[in-house]
Amino acid sequence: MTLTLETVSKTFRGDGRDVEAVTPISLTIETGQIVTFLGPSGCGKTTLMRMVGGLETPTAGTITLDGARLTGPDRRRGMVFQSYSAFPWLTVAGNIRMGLKYRSGLTEAEQSEIVSDLIETVGLKGFDDSYTNRISGGMRQRVAIARTLAADPDVLLMDEPFGALDALTREHLQTKLMEINRRAGKTTIFVTHDVEEAILIAHRLVIFSARPARILEDIDVGAKLGEAREQSLRDAPDFLDLRRHVQTVIRAEFARAQTDAEHV
Amino acid sequence: MFGFRTTLPRQTEIALGLAGLLAFFALWHVTAVSGWVKPQFLPTPWAVVEAFGRLFTERNFAVDILISVGRVWLAFLLSVLIAVPLGLLMSCYRAVGAFVEPFIDFIRYLPVPAMVPLLIIWFGVGEASKIAVLWMGTFFQLVLLIADDTKRVPAEYIETGFTLGANQWQVIRDIITPAALPSMVDNLRISLGWCWTYLIIAEIVAASSGVGHVIWSLRRFVKTPEVMAGIVAIGIVGLLTDQAFRYVHRRRFHYQDTQ
Repeated sequence: MTLTLETVSKTFRGDGRDVEAVTPISLTIETGQIVTFLGPSGCGKTTLMRMVGGLETPTAGTITLDGARLTGPDRRRGMVFQSYSAFPWLTVAGNIRMGLKYRSGLTEAEQSEIVSDLIETVGLKGFDDSYTNRISGGMRQRVAIARTLAADPDVLLMDEPFGALDALTREHLQTKLMEINRRAGKTTIFVTHDVEEAILIAHRLVIFSARPARILEDIDVGAKLGEAREQSLRDAPDFLDLRRHVQTVIRAEFARAQTDAEHV
Repeated sequence: MFGFRTTLPRQTEIALGLAGLLAFFALWHVTAVSGWVKPQFLPTPWAVVEAFGRLFTERNFAVDILISVGRVWLAFLLSVLIAVPLGLLMSCYRAVGAFVEPFIDFIRYLPVPAMVPLLIIWFGVGEASKIAVLWMGTFFQLVLLIADDTKRVPAEYIETGFTLGANQWQVIRDIITPAALPSMVDNLRISLGWCWTYLIIAEIVAASSGVGHVIWSLRRFVKTPEVMAGIVAIGIVGLLTDQAFRYVHRRRFHYQDTQ
């Protein structure tokens, strides 16, 4: 499933003044790749991803999946949000089952099997019948990920999914995500503003400018760091070099945006 | 005990509540027996309790209570049946909201008692006019509350639904409704309380049965203890209904309390 963005842009029409959020962007993402979107807060990277998800309509440009033009949201593009979006009125298993609800042709036995497999994948065994208010934020986020995987989307869209978590839980879930991706091979767009996270989990890293979003750099992380990833990679010289480079780019962009803002 | 914004032990809370009630009844009793107020205006608490018993033994008050409860629930269910779907549609489709909101806001500010004469002209003095009064009193408030409840469902829940492959109807049924249900039920409980307020107005103006009718006809004979007992009866029915609603809410929406 090749995801293609062709001169996609977005301008929000406000009261009397328009805000350009995304300048025309073209991008092709290959099957099974994890692409991280990194950029300053409010730069429009989330807007770009939401357009891929069909949750925002591009002002211009087209988004296609294997040549088929995408419009509104559907099951082909699954979304994981930053805030805990696990449904509180359902149990862990009930939430994951929601991902199967709108898929057809699965027998009850198959459904149960998928649910218990996913519970195991995200490491929530034994919590099947827990309501999501009774489990930690990190566990809730794993429920949301499992629920999205249950829907079996072609593309996984993650909007700072670990942003609200503490550092340890965050690392744990990054590892889990990389594991899941290896197994499921889902094309993934992952939005973050954490530089290390953006490098660690990525096959490819796209750095965006301050608003309106434009691509500053498109880095083939896989070629630089290899495919095998673990948390310990954070201390590897190649990783540190890349991190330094990315940080330089981000800082320069931040400084430029600040001066621009002062000159307006 | 007077710590600033502190909590109190459960027993102390209960004891203070009982003491407050006791103080009220003591003050009432002392005022009644002191002779400052004539007994036909203020009977003693015990006289009211005796009158309460007489209402049931001599006047078949239980039947009137059942009739009133029946009217309240019929009107309430009619309100709910229309208000819940309409409120959902108003919040999901801005066009529906924009179409009906100005009208509802206008009706909502008309005092219901002022509508009673009109409703009697329309529906006569039978059951229909009473149901109409109660319905008018609750429906227009309830529909806006339901619309607000559904509007407060987080956008992430709804967007999650769409990206899991649900269509609009499925999102309304499987996500918006269960997400908004706890606060909806809370608002139903509150609007059922309004029903009782309007019931008494309806039954005082035009009725030959029901709690309001009984209270109003006893007034003519200055049977103050019975009048007060009738009012207390309404309070008790209201309290029991409210507690039943709260109990169901706690049981059904147990997942809301965190540890």
